[in-house]
Amino acid sequence: MNGGKVIGPKEIVLEWVKGDPSAFGRIVKMTMKQAYAVALSFVGNADDAKDISQEAFIHAHRARSRYDPDREFFPWLYTIIRNLCLNFLKKRKVQTNLSLDALELKPSRDPNPQEQVIVNEKREMVWKALFELTPEHREVIILKDINGYSYAEIAGILDVPIGTVMSRLYYAREKLYEVLKGFKSI
Amino acid sequence: MKCGRTELDSVRYIDDEMTQEERAEYEEHLLSCEECRETVERFKELKALTGRVRMKDPTDEFWEDYWKSLYRRMERRVAWIFIIIGAFIFFAYALYEILISFKKFTLDKAGLAFVLAGIILLLISVIRERVHEYKVDRYKDVQR
Repeated sequence: MNGGKVIGPKEIVLEWVKGDPSAFGRIVKMTMKQAYAVALSFVGNADDAKDISQEAFIHAHRARSRYDPDREFFPWLYTIIRNLCLNFLKKRKVQTNLSLDALELKPSRDPNPQEQVIVNEKREMVWKALFELTPEHREVIILKDINGYSYAEIAGILDVPIGTVMSRLYYAREKLYEVLKGFKSI
Repeated sequence: MKCGRTELDSVRYIDDEMTQEERAEYEEHLLSCEECRETVERFKELKALTGRVRMKDPTDEFWEDYWKSLYRRMERRVAWIFIIIGAFIFFAYALYEILISFKKFTLDKAGLAFVLAGIILLLISVIRERVHEYKVDRYKDVQR
């Protein structure tokens, strides 16, 4: 308990590691949107993303005694989500569950309906093309282009050198370009 | 690249991950290198497309349910562990009582003993599977 004092995310994580059960709920509420978005970028549909991200929280809670409080919490959780997603995709083998419902499309109140249709079509096409890539390639493009992380942040999240981030991005983009060319979207 | 530049320069350039000096130097190189220029144009076009993709933020109800269903899930897992352990103790004790009361062979007691032994074996199998799953769980020791 913190005696009514306002505490930051780092302190909440510390309280959770020490065994405060209420801290876990606060951590989930703090990071569930990010966790869900990560899972969604791997599996492509809302139901599986919700299921896997929740499972990741359960794994994290079970492993909390081994968590190093000097490290950031989210990259640690990211590793768990990522591994669960890769396992899930390996078991599913074929990507059949891709859903466009997860995609933010331009609202219908847009003043230029024709432009709105084109933009929405392109977004759908890119989303589909992303799921033609390997999860590792899709992951770096989503982290960089959609979530806007820097190379250093991506390197921290994936626990790889910055050089690896750059080369993965290069090959991922080359591949994505080929896929979109095949879709005649580019 | 035939020009000797690494292709990663094109990635760093379009992602704005170069220093000002590097950027200026690379832009000068682009003026004279068609291959690099084409790569940069290709990636710019691509980035303009991927940059448009936005994932939908689910509704408030979704998030409200997210935490509640996660909590239920954890609660049920604990409940199942208690049920399995309790059932194991209960059936093992019942089997023990039947076996020690075997003074004379009767079909009803023998039948009951086999049913209980079967249930106990199933429970042992479930417990063993859970313990095995936990031991080989690749994420339980996730450290960074």
